[in-house]
Amino acid sequence: MNHKIDDIALHGALSANVVGFCRLLRAQGSGPALGEEQDALRALAAIDLSDPEDFRLSLRTVLAKTPAEQKLFDALFDIYWSVWDRAGELGQPQPESSASEKASANRPGKNGLTSIRDWLKQGEPTEEEREAAGYSPIEVHTKRDFKDFNAEELEEIGRLLQAIARALATRFSRRYRPARPPGRLDLRRTLRASLRRGGELLDLSYCRRTRQKPKLVLLCDVSKSMDLYSRFLIQFMYAFQNAYRRIETFVFATSLHHVAPLLRGNDLSAGLDAIAAQVPDWSGGTRIGAALETFLSEHADLVDHQTALVIVSDGWDTGEIETLEESMRALQRRSRCLIWLNPLLGSPDYRPATRGMQAALPYIDLFAPAHNIDSLKALVGYLMTLRGATAAQYLRRRPEPPASTKAVPAAPTRDDWYRRFGVQP
Amino acid sequence: MSTTAAIQEMLAEHGYVADRQVVMSVYLAQTLERPLLIEGPAGVGKTEVAKVVARALDTELIRLQCYEGLDAHAALYEWNYQRQLLHIKLDEKSQRPLAEREADLFSEDFLLKRPLLQAITQPVPPVLLIDELDRADEEFESFLLEVLSDWQITIPEIGTIRAVARPHVILTSNRTRELSDAVRRRCFYLWIDYPEFDKEVEIVRRKVNGIDIQLAEQICRFMEKIRMQRLEKVPGVAETLDWAKALVALHQHHLDLEVVADTLGIVFKDQRDVAQVKQSLAEFLEGLGVRAKLAPER
Repeated sequence: MNHKIDDIALHGALSANVVGFCRLLRAQGSGPALGEEQDALRALAAIDLSDPEDFRLSLRTVLAKTPAEQKLFDALFDIYWSVWDRAGELGQPQPESSASEKASANRPGKNGLTSIRDWLKQGEPTEEEREAAGYSPIEVHTKRDFKDFNAEELEEIGRLLQAIARALATRFSRRYRPARPPGRLDLRRTLRASLRRGGELLDLSYCRRTRQKPKLVLLCDVSKSMDLYSRFLIQFMYAFQNAYRRIETFVFATSLHHVAPLLRGNDLSAGLDAIAAQVPDWSGGTRIGAALETFLSEHADLVDHQTALVIVSDGWDTGEIETLEESMRALQRRSRCLIWLNPLLGSPDYRPATRGMQAALPYIDLFAPAHNIDSLKALVGYLMTLRGATAAQYLRRRPEPPASTKAVPAAPTRDDWYRRFGVQP
Repeated sequence: MSTTAAIQEMLAEHGYVADRQVVMSVYLAQTLERPLLIEGPAGVGKTEVAKVVARALDTELIRLQCYEGLDAHAALYEWNYQRQLLHIKLDEKSQRPLAEREADLFSEDFLLKRPLLQAITQPVPPVLLIDELDRADEEFESFLLEVLSDWQITIPEIGTIRAVARPHVILTSNRTRELSDAVRRRCFYLWIDYPEFDKEVEIVRRKVNGIDIQLAEQICRFMEKIRMQRLEKVPGVAETLDWAKALVALHQHHLDLEVVADTLGIVFKDQRDVAQVKQSLAEFLEGLGVRAKLAPER
């Protein structure tokens, strides 16, 4: 009658297997913590174990906490527990090892592409890289600057990225904090203070709104053509992720990967390991359009009218241009502003002439180079010059900048921007 | 009787068509006294779960609607300043010592209870719905986490107030930003997606009185197919129901081109979507097997 866990042997075997299953989920990048393992066991104690569907659904409720985790859960559940089924007898050898082997065999293969880690280990530039570096002055420059970052430079990048984020800040929060007048009267504190004066309102306390940071979404191209900037990109993403909390980071080559969770935390090398495991197409081909389309269909919720969207890519797209254009249009409409950082733009000879870039250009609010620390500095400087209206608002007003008069210095135009970086429009 | 069947029945009784995953997560959250985090696209009935659970348990529903800048004061408590000021004035002539008067001023009489404090001071555990948590900021999230794990609230002037009974907590999020890991780990999780065709028909038939079965099926077929298109705002179940009600009010027994074209504004809340669907409407309806009533008849 009672199918709940009452048999100690069953309980033991089941616990061990639940723990094994949690370990498998963790190994695949999902994150049931210890507390959740306990939850799982408590949940199983509360349900009717004779029903396999109840068994699955209860574990799913307790262990999979995002749509992505649910997907992974669904994929691994059968693999893991079918082995358990076949084990037949309770207390038999645990399926853990065989299941995780199976699961890792199921993981998308590397298809001969370089993982980041391998790539980073290549201390010496390959023949190809040397060649590329040979004919493009900008790339030589890039390599010199970004081959190895020392701690100081990293700190500087962090500062610059924070400054960029600050410059893009657009809104006032509805939160208040104490301030000197003029501000809003803070009744709570005023009243508190008045008690000391016998209830007379003598000392007035004020508060004001804090400025709110915008949300940032960063989309980085890590395809083959961006290889030369990869070191920079990694640092860039890592620094941005840690300098700024309200940010979501994605990388794409042929497909899109959400890497923000992997980059959080203090350990860059652990983050790199995790990325290497999860991004099989690092330095593969590029299909920006398809990647953006995936982003739109799966993560569009992350972008709203206060999100600044930053795409870092050279604009070489081997996919369909229509898809790219369509996605760019949708992204621009949804976001507060759309910034495209193109490392190639740092080269004086560069023209945004690739088909992909051409298709994307009309939807970009700010098109800027980002290939070394100097260019980041210039970007900060540029965003900071847009006073009065905040940078994001200003950008969104493009392409009709306010008419300039003698009295009011004109806001920089896109041409000024090019000039600042020595780019001929 | 199986343990989850009771919940299933309870939800059905109060007009909620639930699949097994919904039932299981509601059951586990209840049994193990954990908050339930519900995510999914807009308009699939996330909030409805909380309402139905409250109705089914015959308990109060306390709702905390999150918004940007929501802070502890709006969620927990605030002092009633106007009343405090009046009280100070009335008490001006009194010779009572200051400490006593201050204690008076910061007593429960002057406390405005906001949803969270309300929820933990109820003798009967209410359903506490924390709606659209993704709209609040991270600071609020961590504050909430503290309340949800300790079930006590400290008011400096009064002291610590412990929960009389633990409320049933349901949180919803539209995923406009990722919630923190800590919140996720703390809660049980339920993802509600747009319903399958059969389920949606069932919902429409239950919720819309006097609807023709043929019409209900056509409407749901339409919704199922239209959700596959790329739209600015994908219509949810709420839109399906509104539309069905409107069509019933118009005495429709089946879809036709004219009436669909006239009522698109109920289904699509974005001008571009309306325009886009209108453009290929005849073709689209034909694909569903709906004969277009053609213009020449008029």
